[in-house]
Amino acid sequence: MDTFPATLLALAVTTPILVGLILLAGRDLPRGFASGFAFGGFALPAVLAPWLLVLWSDPATAPQQFQSVGFWGFGFALNGLGAPLLAMTSLVGFAAGVKALDQEVEGRNTYLGLILFMLGGTLGVFGTNHLVGFYFFHEFALIPTFVLTLFWGGEGRRPAAMQMAIYLTAGAMASLAGILIAVDAAGVEYGAATFENVALGLQNAKHLPAAVGALVLFGLGTLASLFPFHSWAAPGYSAAPTPVSMLHAGALKKFGLYGIILLGLSSLDITGGALGSWFLWFAVANVLLVGLICLAQRDLKQLLSWSSVAHMGPVFLGIWVCGVTGQADGLDAAAFLMVAHGLSCAALFLLANAVRARAGTYRLDELGGLAARTPVLAAFFVAATMASVGLPGFGNFWGEVGVFLALRAQPLWLQAVVASTVVISAVYALRAVAATFFGPASEALEKRWAVAPFGDLGWAERAAAGVLLGASLTIGFVPSLVTRSVNPVAAGVTTYSQHNAKAPAKAAQPAQR
Amino acid sequence: MISFLAAVDPAFKALAPRSADWLTILPELAVAGLSLLCLLQAMLLPKSLRPLIPVTARTGLVLVALMSVVTGPWTQAADVESFAGLLRQNLPTDGVRAVFLLSALLTSFLAERFLRERDAAVADYHHVLLVVTAAFMLLAQSNHFVTFFLALETAAVGLYVLVGYLRRSAASLEAGVKYLVAGGLSSALLLMGIVLVYGALGAVPGVTDSLNFTQIGKALAAQSAAGAVSPLTLAGVALILGGVAFKLGAFPFHAWIPDVYQGAPTPTTAFLGTASKAAGAFTLLILASGPFAPLAVKVAPLLAVGAVLTLLAGNLGALATTDVKRTLALSGVSHAGFILAAVTAALVLPGVDAFGYDVEQVVVLYLLAYVGGTFLTAQALVALPALEDHRRPQLALRGLLRRSPLLGAALGFGIGSLAGIPPSVGFIAKLLVLALLVAAKLWWVLGAALIGVAVSIHYYFSILREAVVRPTEDDEEVAPLELPLGTRVLVFVLAAASLVGGLYMLAGR
Repeated sequence: MDTFPATLLALAVTTPILVGLILLAGRDLPRGFASGFAFGGFALPAVLAPWLLVLWSDPATAPQQFQSVGFWGFGFALNGLGAPLLAMTSLVGFAAGVKALDQEVEGRNTYLGLILFMLGGTLGVFGTNHLVGFYFFHEFALIPTFVLTLFWGGEGRRPAAMQMAIYLTAGAMASLAGILIAVDAAGVEYGAATFENVALGLQNAKHLPAAVGALVLFGLGTLASLFPFHSWAAPGYSAAPTPVSMLHAGALKKFGLYGIILLGLSSLDITGGALGSWFLWFAVANVLLVGLICLAQRDLKQLLSWSSVAHMGPVFLGIWVCGVTGQADGLDAAAFLMVAHGLSCAALFLLANAVRARAGTYRLDELGGLAARTPVLAAFFVAATMASVGLPGFGNFWGEVGVFLALRAQPLWLQAVVASTVVISAVYALRAVAATFFGPASEALEKRWAVAPFGDLGWAERAAAGVLLGASLTIGFVPSLVTRSVNPVAAGVTTYSQHNAKAPAKAAQPAQR
Repeated sequence: MISFLAAVDPAFKALAPRSADWLTILPELAVAGLSLLCLLQAMLLPKSLRPLIPVTARTGLVLVALMSVVTGPWTQAADVESFAGLLRQNLPTDGVRAVFLLSALLTSFLAERFLRERDAAVADYHHVLLVVTAAFMLLAQSNHFVTFFLALETAAVGLYVLVGYLRRSAASLEAGVKYLVAGGLSSALLLMGIVLVYGALGAVPGVTDSLNFTQIGKALAAQSAAGAVSPLTLAGVALILGGVAFKLGAFPFHAWIPDVYQGAPTPTTAFLGTASKAAGAFTLLILASGPFAPLAVKVAPLLAVGAVLTLLAGNLGALATTDVKRTLALSGVSHAGFILAAVTAALVLPGVDAFGYDVEQVVVLYLLAYVGGTFLTAQALVALPALEDHRRPQLALRGLLRRSPLLGAALGFGIGSLAGIPPSVGFIAKLLVLALLVAAKLWWVLGAALIGVAVSIHYYFSILREAVVRPTEDDEEVAPLELPLGTRVLVFVLAAASLVGGLYMLAGR
């Protein structure tokens, strides 16, 4: 095996953690030095991880590419699903880092160090193929998130951070139990407990009860804000400082889905039987109920937070339909949407904060007419909104269309429900854009402008948003960048899950296909 | 003495210790000698040299720890019996010896300044502390109910003194009395149980000494294979386990814990919470998986129910507290539940392992993690000036991170390890216990443990939250806290160990 990409992978994961450690230890490092150092920690993965995605060759020959022995026995290894998510995370991390470097906060070095920890932990989740490593890095990324929200968050940060900590710990514990049970039942040594080995081991083991699947689905689903375990999510994203919101809603929650796919879907039969119907109803609720909640929001950041929960609905449905029909297209689309949503969601949080920095508020009724004063910001925001609602050209389009197509054989009502998301999300997103940027400016905004006129989007923010939207456009026009590494994994997962699927689940597959 | 007894009855001749026997308990003898040295120093040294006393004790403890590492049967797979089967040493007993030594060492660090601030004698405290430590070390190795009970009582009497040490504090004295009553009750239960087992198995053919763990184990194995275990034996075993559960602080014998822990001087609380709990945990393990192992079918359900209730009682109880010492006392109950769960796993599935570690190793690792977390937290508590040691509301921690970043970090690492946050050693220890529960298929216990961890996040984070929020204008104490160099080094070492220790345990597995 070529060791060069393996070194890149190990570097991409460990650099942010090491830089973060140094910044945490050096609270009094001079500002310029710390900034440059932190920038390196954010930028290096953003170069290496997309490079790894481009390097991705034929995954059929090697299920885990770029394997390397990491520190403390946690081997780093990249699988086809992890590769695009790793690249997405690194870009979101870069944008979040640029934003964080642009901010004036108390205890700046600690702040930057903790954000680097978040980034490194998230990269670690996607850069390890090992279940213990998966859980380890998942918690490693979550803890700084709690601390950052508690310390540097905005309004309502204390209850939000506490609620988030309790929900996510409960979820983590449930998923940990599921992981341990699955590894035990698969008969795999913990040292060799990769996703593939566990899936293979479970194929030969006797069928695990649905409760184990439920532990994994609902445990990791809490992190991915699956209804009804989602209520921590919107307050948590809203109260967090912007770089943390970007990383959390954009990248961190995706590793809940990553685990659900690679452990739950591939070997625990989460879509069969009663558990499968619960999964379906919860995913529909994510789409419909949370969509309606979004419609009622009057605060830009709250709206983005809730919409980030609502957008998980199609992803869950894609995963569900893949398990039910045993066809890979649903999973392909869900994975694509995970990547694309990470980029658009982070861009929106970033730009919404730019709005707040200028207008002094997130309240939609106190905004308006900003397009005339900050045309570049307005352009970026409109573009990010279009990406988020799935306009062709942006990555989200392929994801959403793919999910709809994968659902084509399902009952009409389900298709109608999913189609309604397009309408609902377009309504709330465009209404927010209109209320923020177009129409007459509110009185409050006029007064603020009169006292202190504000400038357009700064260069740092342009660069950060530009990277995210550029990446979304790139995968929008060259979707094969993502699909060529994801497709074989999706095909493999469906092979495993079909093996495990029970008879009733197979019956759901329509006869004419 | 023995030669005189041997003249009376030749049976005693077997008990005469060989000189090699004394070598096996050299660390215990050294700790006992050290405790006498403390008293001697207090008598002989001039007042200006008195600060040397705790330094001597600590140096001695470190040397003993090194000695036990060098002389212990680390490399031997087989057990080493000494004193005609009164004591038995193996790798786990050496590990738990380290827990006791470490706990005493850290308690000494806490106690020195604490006692001087309250104008209490430092030398006497160290003397008693070391006696208790030596007794605990012997207790963990005992293979006979006589040594078992003697060691346990020696430790208990010393602990009564340490709990009520602040004679001018009503709270400390009250705690001492409560501990005396509760401890007396537990000793009575234990003794009653021992007597019942002694009597019930005394007449069994082939048993010459029905207090010897090995012989009890053999007799019970034969009886349970024949289905002829007498109710008297069962009652005795239940009483003994109940007495041990008192020390461990397991449900329903945990009622004394909050009051005693809160009232006791904080260094004693830390020692009680670590060394005493370790003693209870370890004796429970050696009893349940040793002499009482043939009764596993009957004992395991008892322990499983106990583990579930202990986990729930500890965590839910701690949820309702606002005093930090009380919170930590009840959270200690939940940690006892974790240990109980691990012991249960050993009974349900003998030879069960997690990541290649067997139950005894997991328990020792859990105890070490718990010692680290507790003392890091206690360092932060003790450094804060408090008029009344038994009142430590969460609010008193406010602004700690600002007043002393190091202590704030100590609290963060300590609480983080207790709460089981990766990558701390506390997390790895919990992970190992959970893996044991999965392997043993103890689903109810697993559920209770997971619920407990989720619940515990609330009270642990409540403590941390006060420490990290900035102090407001109406907080009187905002002055920076000065720490002696020794404390700073200690906190740093403990924090580093709590961070790296767990990863080291998993490395290469």
